[in-house]
Amino acid sequence: MSDRPATTPTETGLHAAQRRTDADAPMLRAIDVRKTYRLGRVNVPVLRGASMDVQRGEWVAILGASGSGKSTLLHLLGGLDRPDAPPGGGEIRFEGTGLRDMSRRALDQYRRRRVGFIFQFYHLLPELNVMENTLLSAMAAHSMGAYAANRGGLRARAESLLGAFGLAERLRHRPAELSGGERQRVAIARALMNEPDVLLADEPTGNLDRKTGDAILDRVAALRGETGQTIVMVTHDEEVARRADRVVRLEDGVVVRG
Amino acid sequence: MYQTLLIRRYLTSRIMPLLAALAVLLCTAMVLIVWSVMGGFLNMLLASGRTMMGDVLISWPVVGMAHYQELIDDLEADPLVLAATPIVESPGLLATPDGSIAMVQVIGIDGRGYDRVTGYSDAVWWRNLEKPMPRDTDGDDPRLHADFTGVFEDALRMSGRDPRTGEDAPAMVLGVEVSQLNQRVPGGWYEPRYLQLRTDSATLSVLPISARGVAIDVQARSFPIVNQFRTGIYEVDARTVLVRLDALQEMLGMAAATRVRVPGSADADPLGLGVTLDERGEPVFAQPEIVGASPARVTTVLVRAQDGVSAQRLRDRTAEIYRDFAQRHGRAVPSPDSIPILTWEQRPSIAAFIGAVKKETGLVLFIFGFISMTSVFLVLAIFWSMVSEKTKDIGVLRAVGAGRAGVAWLYLGYGLAIGVVGATLGGLLALVVVHNINPIHDWMGSTLGLVVWDPSVYYFFEIPNRVEPSKAIMVMCAGVLFSVAGALLPAIKAAHMDPVKALRFE
Repeated sequence: MSDRPATTPTETGLHAAQRRTDADAPMLRAIDVRKTYRLGRVNVPVLRGASMDVQRGEWVAILGASGSGKSTLLHLLGGLDRPDAPPGGGEIRFEGTGLRDMSRRALDQYRRRRVGFIFQFYHLLPELNVMENTLLSAMAAHSMGAYAANRGGLRARAESLLGAFGLAERLRHRPAELSGGERQRVAIARALMNEPDVLLADEPTGNLDRKTGDAILDRVAALRGETGQTIVMVTHDEEVARRADRVVRLEDGVVVRG
Repeated sequence: MYQTLLIRRYLTSRIMPLLAALAVLLCTAMVLIVWSVMGGFLNMLLASGRTMMGDVLISWPVVGMAHYQELIDDLEADPLVLAATPIVESPGLLATPDGSIAMVQVIGIDGRGYDRVTGYSDAVWWRNLEKPMPRDTDGDDPRLHADFTGVFEDALRMSGRDPRTGEDAPAMVLGVEVSQLNQRVPGGWYEPRYLQLRTDSATLSVLPISARGVAIDVQARSFPIVNQFRTGIYEVDARTVLVRLDALQEMLGMAAATRVRVPGSADADPLGLGVTLDERGEPVFAQPEIVGASPARVTTVLVRAQDGVSAQRLRDRTAEIYRDFAQRHGRAVPSPDSIPILTWEQRPSIAAFIGAVKKETGLVLFIFGFISMTSVFLVLAIFWSMVSEKTKDIGVLRAVGAGRAGVAWLYLGYGLAIGVVGATLGGLLALVVVHNINPIHDWMGSTLGLVVWDPSVYYFFEIPNRVEPSKAIMVMCAGVLFSVAGALLPAIKAAHMDPVKALRFE
């Protein structure tokens, strides 16, 4: 985000390492990434050497058929999962630093601060209302004391985001009381809450009708226009993919165009 | 931070955790109720050991010890001693006005002295109630209606008007459960059935034993019944009869007496009968010659400590005083090395019984504590199922940056919260149940015919109904600990969940 401060109270060694990297390097890189899942006694290769770069401020769509490995690639980019063990597993780099080299704690921090996830099925917590779901990522990113100290500011940001997504009147509502589109907007607000460097969206409109999906993408596009947000979006829909600056096509675990 | 919010939400929006809290609640309440009743029973036993006994006993049964008043004076001169009093104990046979005959423990007492050492006046039953309780005024306790000032005073004097002669005579005070003179009503008081105080008398028979342990003649005597006493210990109230000390001493041959010798030569009086023949062959009866006096004896001296003086300290001091006393009297009193000087707890019959009850209490607590550990497994099962149900939420939390430790803390904190809620409510439930356990028991008896607490078995008329705060805190802490222990494995499972698999969980 353009207005993001150079340092934050939760800055870790990761930031220092990042500042040492070349400013012209891609923000996010997947280098010959391989990922194999084991189903019973059978090894199922999902990614077979996928490589791609994402530049800062870029909107990249990863397009592919079901089972092509696009969600897996997104999870790897977001540090939710790790590529196959070296040698041969490939590497994910964020601002020049390999995620594999990060400690577990640093990887948690990476997910809290650097990336924001949006899922096809929203994944809101049913017990929490709209405001609380939005604040969830901020709560995970702050200690209890730090959260209490910044509570007013964080709530104001959540209200601002939810207002921008047209949910100002639904703050106390539970997910069960919202439509699919509204739920996805809450999920986007949650993903943006900590001002991440990269928004990772996994089929964000896959569970919505075309009109609602388009409206959400319009709002994301407008936000990107305002803030220059970097976005990596997985989709199987060519039309949705056309919204992006660039499309990376994935077939059988390999990037065939991008 | 998110842990606090989610724990609060999970607690108020789901049934499963309430079931876990219920398990902790029931286990906490169960252990605390059992411990309070059993521990209270033990405490009552310990307290009852002092009933009618004081803190320290100097006891020389059967034959009794002489010069006891001098010993009592020595004891009461000591700053550790509040008071001391003599008693005589003997088995006896009692024929009561309702026609029944019962074996009883007879205790000869000096009413006022005995009261100073044992608080006997508090146990006197037929007296006007100074502060009637609601259950007294709500019911029809006879003590509310009549004037019992006279019979209360008689109980302290241990004297009353003999119904046959009309003269003041040594009297008897019976345990309130002796024979069937009264009927105990559920409200907790007694309705006289065959008893008319000051009018009825009972016949007591005792068997004097010589210094050599040989039974002499059975002695029987009728005493006016002036009052009754109730200690709350069934065994005491059903088997004990109090009579005036000097009367029992007389019956048992322990009263002060003059020692005499019949003069005469062995030739003139070969049989030693004090009878000789004069010159005409007529019998001549010799006048006995007084050669000394046998002091009165008692079987036991009871001693009460000043406030703040332990029974053991008093016992040690009493032993020192007795040693000095015995040195002055030589062989006229039992040797200090052979006479038992015991605290009330050390009395063999009590020590054995209390030891048994202590062990039984420990065993019952162990069993119930072990059973309560089922709450660990209940919480574990419920949390395990909840973690499975909440798999996707765990994936979401990991996706927004929650670490493994954070997720583990979420479930441990949840277990802690459930433990605190369950243990607190369990503690409150136990408090309410224990506090009202006697009315509950009475209700069960009157409505369901279920009487669990039989005074003839458990010694006391009332079920102990106090919860000790220290016990409550310990049991509640254990309840919380069990709940956290039950949450531990599910918390570890949640922490080690693969976030990608968790997000794909259906």
